[in-house]
Amino acid sequence: MTAVLYLIAGIIAFTLTMALKGHMLKRAVLLLHSAANVLISGYIMFLGNIPEISGFFRVDHLSAFEAGLSSIVFFAASLYAGGYVTRLIETGELNPKSLRLFYGGFSILMTVTPVVFLSDNLALFWILAEITTVVSAMLVASLAARENIDAALKYIFIASTAMLFAFIGLIFLFEMSRTGSGTGTLNWSELMIISKGFDPSISIAAFFFVFIGFSAKSGIVPFHTWLPDAHSKAPSAVSAVLSGVLLNIGIYGIIRVYAIIKQVPDTESSGFFILFFGVLTVFIASMMMLKQHNLKKLIACSSIENMGLILIGLSFWTPLAIFWVLFQTLAHSLTKAELFLSAGIIHRQYKTENPAEEDVICDAFEMQPAASVFLIAGSLAIIGTPLFPVFLPKLFILLEAVRFNLLTGIIILTTIAIASFALFRFIWGALSLRSDDTTIGKLKHYRVSKGMHAAIIFLLVLMLYFGIMVPEWFYNYLTVIVSELGLGGI
Amino acid sequence: MITTFLADIVRIILLLILITGALIISTRTLSALVNVYSIQSLLITVLACVLWYMTKEKTLLLIAAITFAAKVILIPSFIAGIQKKIHIRRDLEFSYIKPAGSILLSLLLMLLVYVVFSGVFSKFAVKDPLFFLGSIVGVSLMLMGMLVTFSRKKTITKVMGYLSMENGVLVFGCFATELPFIVEVMILVDLIILVILTTILTIGIDSSLEEFQERLIRYHIWPSEEEGQ
Repeated sequence: MTAVLYLIAGIIAFTLTMALKGHMLKRAVLLLHSAANVLISGYIMFLGNIPEISGFFRVDHLSAFEAGLSSIVFFAASLYAGGYVTRLIETGELNPKSLRLFYGGFSILMTVTPVVFLSDNLALFWILAEITTVVSAMLVASLAARENIDAALKYIFIASTAMLFAFIGLIFLFEMSRTGSGTGTLNWSELMIISKGFDPSISIAAFFFVFIGFSAKSGIVPFHTWLPDAHSKAPSAVSAVLSGVLLNIGIYGIIRVYAIIKQVPDTESSGFFILFFGVLTVFIASMMMLKQHNLKKLIACSSIENMGLILIGLSFWTPLAIFWVLFQTLAHSLTKAELFLSAGIIHRQYKTENPAEEDVICDAFEMQPAASVFLIAGSLAIIGTPLFPVFLPKLFILLEAVRFNLLTGIIILTTIAIASFALFRFIWGALSLRSDDTTIGKLKHYRVSKGMHAAIIFLLVLMLYFGIMVPEWFYNYLTVIVSELGLGGI
Repeated sequence: MITTFLADIVRIILLLILITGALIISTRTLSALVNVYSIQSLLITVLACVLWYMTKEKTLLLIAAITFAAKVILIPSFIAGIQKKIHIRRDLEFSYIKPAGSILLSLLLMLLVYVVFSGVFSKFAVKDPLFFLGSIVGVSLMLMGMLVTFSRKKTITKVMGYLSMENGVLVFGCFATELPFIVEVMILVDLIILVILTTILTIGIDSSLEEFQERLIRYHIWPSEEEGQ
């Protein structure tokens, strides 16, 4: 019944957010709620019974891991949000009347997200994933500027229409389970057991539909067009959550259904299918990064690239590849949240009056020394510099690709290199620009609250912890997940 | 005898549903668009009733009931109300593809669905041709709705496309399998949240921040005594 703990915490926090007046109190409730979620996740991951089955919910190591990861990112985002929102109100970009909308929405999202991962029933997973889309789109639109509303609508329409296709896939799965066992089921734990007798061609069709839906949620090409807009227009605390947590929901759904389909004999073509879209995604994302002139959009495109890399790893479906896919999920979430939070400070510092114009970043080290350093650290981390957590999974997924086919490996390596080049070219250019070179006069210093820096440092410490130490408990945890997915040991 | 008669009725209804799908692609007047959607939903209600009579599955009757309540009455009247308030009567803007092209494309898509499904469900198609046809119409309706969502520029017409897609899922669900009722309710909840949120956002799309708040209050979508601080 551990999933209920999240709901209880969520309901209390939501009620308090709605009832309490004043920004400080809402901030405090949000922070307490996120801290409570971290504690609940810690309990589920290390102390609770695994597997634990109760009604529509089921906790296994994968779901506990994803829920825990989401709680950590939410905690950092909540720590950051307080100071960030205060400044938004000061500059008049966020109407104080929208505070309830913002904090209420954030608390719903924080409650629903871990529960998404714990749901055993695929239909429940589907509807909860839809709710995360709608609520996060609302948060994107909370700034109520025209660009934000456009981005939010685009996000809702692309993600939701695609999710309807996923539902067709679920209907296929349900019908196959009904023919197979008499009573239909959409519980993935039961589907894992009975899927050996499924019809291969219908299974592939089911996977195809499910893939369309969940890949749109994760910004996989060709359903990625909403992602750069939504992630860059959102308030940065929300961007961190969108990239660090919500993208994982789609990938998680794909992993679950793929694990089921993989039990069915003669379904190898589904792996090539995933590999194709993974390579395409990495390629298109790196091309998009090359021509990007907006920091947050660039980081958003890098999320697309990383999702593509995760898909590539997933397509091989070997124990080693899946181990590193999971590692990459963690590494990407932490790093991307760190990057968005740092970029948020830079964006606030250099934001132009006209939202249609790009920010001109100059004298960054004088204006925001800490944020500039954090941004560089995050960029080094995301391109896969050793000591940071992205390094090992990137390397090993690449090695798996080379082992599969040399040409594929070379293509992936080249596109990743292009993406890294694009990111660094931009960061280098932006941070080394001096104000003498541009026409912009002295800007007003953007005050950064302690909580905002603390959130980024918290994420950086975690990144270094996982990157340098690769803790043994974590290694064991991921190994158990791999074997639970039906792959045996590493 | 009676079964063949009912099967013919089902075929006719499926055909009519496809026609409403085509009308949603081509209709430019918004109030007419809402009416077409309402009729489409009514046809699905009747379809569910006929299927219930044929198979005696009680869930179908429940589906018919909620479809009627939500999609024939509730959602169309909500959207019609919003349309009156925001004074959009016609949607003449299209991106990517014009209605005539959309209809041609949807014919091609239907053909594609038929070919693919015949391959995948070859056993199913021979055993139960009517249900096979229903599944094809369901997915085709979805694709037609998708064309509307992507080719229209105004949000409110995009919503109509999405609603039509969801009707396609419902038709497909009715024919392909016997889904638990709770799942149908879930989809409906999703639909209602989505319709409400997107229409609220639509109101704001052409306005600045202050105008947006002010409009929301004027249309009684937002409580005017809202106090944040």
